[in-house]
Amino acid sequence: MEAAATTKKKKKVHTDLKPKMHNNAVRPTRADRAFQVTVDIFMVLILIVIAVPIWSTVTLSFRPNTYIGSYLEGMFLPVWDWSPDAYKALLGNNGFLMAFSNSLKILVGGVISALILTIPLAYVMSVKTLPGRKILTTLVLIPYIFDVGMIPAYLLVQNIGLMNHLAAVFLPGAISTYNVIIMRQFFDGIPGELKESARIDGCSEVQILIRIIMPLSKAIIMTIGLYYGVSFWNNFFNAMLYIQDSNLNPLPILLRNILMAAGMNEYVEVSAFGNAPIEAIKAASVFMSAIPMVIAYPFIQKYFTKGTLAGSVKG
Amino acid sequence: MSKTVSKSPEIAEFSRRHNVSPSRVKVVKNASGEELLMIKPSLGREILRHKDVYLLLLIPIVFYFIFKYVPIFNAQIAFKNFRARDGVLGSQWVGFQNFIDFFNSFYFWELLRNTVFYSIGKIVISLPLSIILAIAIYECTHRVLRKVVQTLAYLPHFLSWVIMYGVLFALLSPSSGIINDIIKLFGGTPVDFLSSVKAFPWVVLLSDAWKEMGWSAIIFIAALMGIDVSLFEAAMVEGANSWQRVRYITLPSIKPVIVTVLLLKLGTILDAGFNQMYMLYSPQVYSVADIIDTWVYRQGLLQFEFSLATAVGLFKGAIGMILVLVSNKLVQRVSEGSSLF
Repeated sequence: MEAAATTKKKKKVHTDLKPKMHNNAVRPTRADRAFQVTVDIFMVLILIVIAVPIWSTVTLSFRPNTYIGSYLEGMFLPVWDWSPDAYKALLGNNGFLMAFSNSLKILVGGVISALILTIPLAYVMSVKTLPGRKILTTLVLIPYIFDVGMIPAYLLVQNIGLMNHLAAVFLPGAISTYNVIIMRQFFDGIPGELKESARIDGCSEVQILIRIIMPLSKAIIMTIGLYYGVSFWNNFFNAMLYIQDSNLNPLPILLRNILMAAGMNEYVEVSAFGNAPIEAIKAASVFMSAIPMVIAYPFIQKYFTKGTLAGSVKG
Repeated sequence: MSKTVSKSPEIAEFSRRHNVSPSRVKVVKNASGEELLMIKPSLGREILRHKDVYLLLLIPIVFYFIFKYVPIFNAQIAFKNFRARDGVLGSQWVGFQNFIDFFNSFYFWELLRNTVFYSIGKIVISLPLSIILAIAIYECTHRVLRKVVQTLAYLPHFLSWVIMYGVLFALLSPSSGIINDIIKLFGGTPVDFLSSVKAFPWVVLLSDAWKEMGWSAIIFIAALMGIDVSLFEAAMVEGANSWQRVRYITLPSIKPVIVTVLLLKLGTILDAGFNQMYMLYSPQVYSVADIIDTWVYRQGLLQFEFSLATAVGLFKGAIGMILVLVSNKLVQRVSEGSSLF
């Protein structure tokens, strides 16, 4: 009950970052007004700086084949002149659809295995009475602090025969120590009395984790799950190292191949995209790769402030 | 008056009375601060009691061992002359030869310089920017403007560098990029930002700032929301204007968080951002773009110099470990509870 009440309170704080001051006796001076104007101007500037590159990519992706103006003018092309050719071409292309489905497989497989591995590890690390807990914590931290680089990891994947499997893209990143630490910090904050009373009622640790801890930790599990999801969806490096079969290429690899193709003729897959302009194809594939992130984003945003707060600043 | 029993004679007496070894007697404080003596359960029984906890650990720990500890074991090839058909164990030991080769090579200083340059440059540009952005978001009174800026500013963090490259290309391309359109509009000559040695470092630093400043601001916004508003009110009554309030209240209040973030970033100074560099760089700009990680990748996985590349990776890992441990110690001193471990 208490937890629910505090989250409600937090939400209220969130809608208004700086609490209203109660003292209205002091009139704002000229310096104060100048300050507010400066803040507003800065905010608008930031808005422009962030929005322009995104907007230019969006307009570029809808550029019709007949367009002959510059990129700059293209940003102000009226919506009724936009053409969906590039998107039609992408969605009708087998290579693109295959890459998209490979990426989805990596995303789903990755998030599931990451959570199955991360939650129990973080939970066990937060059981304060556990003999050997210090040793466990040290064992978990050593590889995190001492990073031996990419070649030894490459040899491992090669030796255990994961080469050319989609699992090679997500398994090496399926436990992120940083995420384990954040999750453990959250578990540490759950009052011990809850677990103790469940233990007296005869619950096993597994039952406690599933019935008591996990329902209380929805926010952090969502946050960490989404962190993992983003990292798997965006993962380019592992796919580049471990996937050679072009039928298994995930989206970031295909996207890079499309982007690096300077002209239509250089890249076979690009020439299969019909009559849409190559620049539009590039921009549209950028946008399509970002779409799952953009869709998931409002949900991420809802959780991540809470999640990062739990992980970074206490109190 | 609280009674203190944490003296050794009392512990000895207690252990004799209950017939247990003194090492198993524990001093605990109860709710009213009184110290009591308690017998710790024996280790064997404790382990038995937690057997299902250990069971829970089984899969993660096996996984952790394979994916985190086997690479550490494999790292021994840094001291060997690795040949694929001999395997990790069968290859010949060569001592520190790979390290010596690396330290004596001309690219050693260039790689180190580039790596440190980009790490520090990113801190110098992004940290002040994200602090200013956090303060602006905090002080902004237009709710809609604030919401829109917050939403948009966090978004680029979730885009991969492959996507970022696509966005940057549309912006910077010499033939048709928007920035060159503007340069041409004012009569200048177009610049090929991504292959010019002069412009490239700025592209790296500024694109990183563009991508991450909103995300880095979150931690500062959280710190700002923790400031007691009565401090501002008191300052207002004393006649401090908004600028002075930022200078004398806001900034000092979030100083511990700023220092913490700075220290944690210094701990990872040898990570200059592989993904970004790999997407943006090209052979024309290697002299200013090649960082340790990109070099390790090319040398190891494209040239198959596994041992040399591993030695360089190990060198980076060892320095990185020292930096992380030191910065973590310092963070603990600055603000307790915000260190990573």
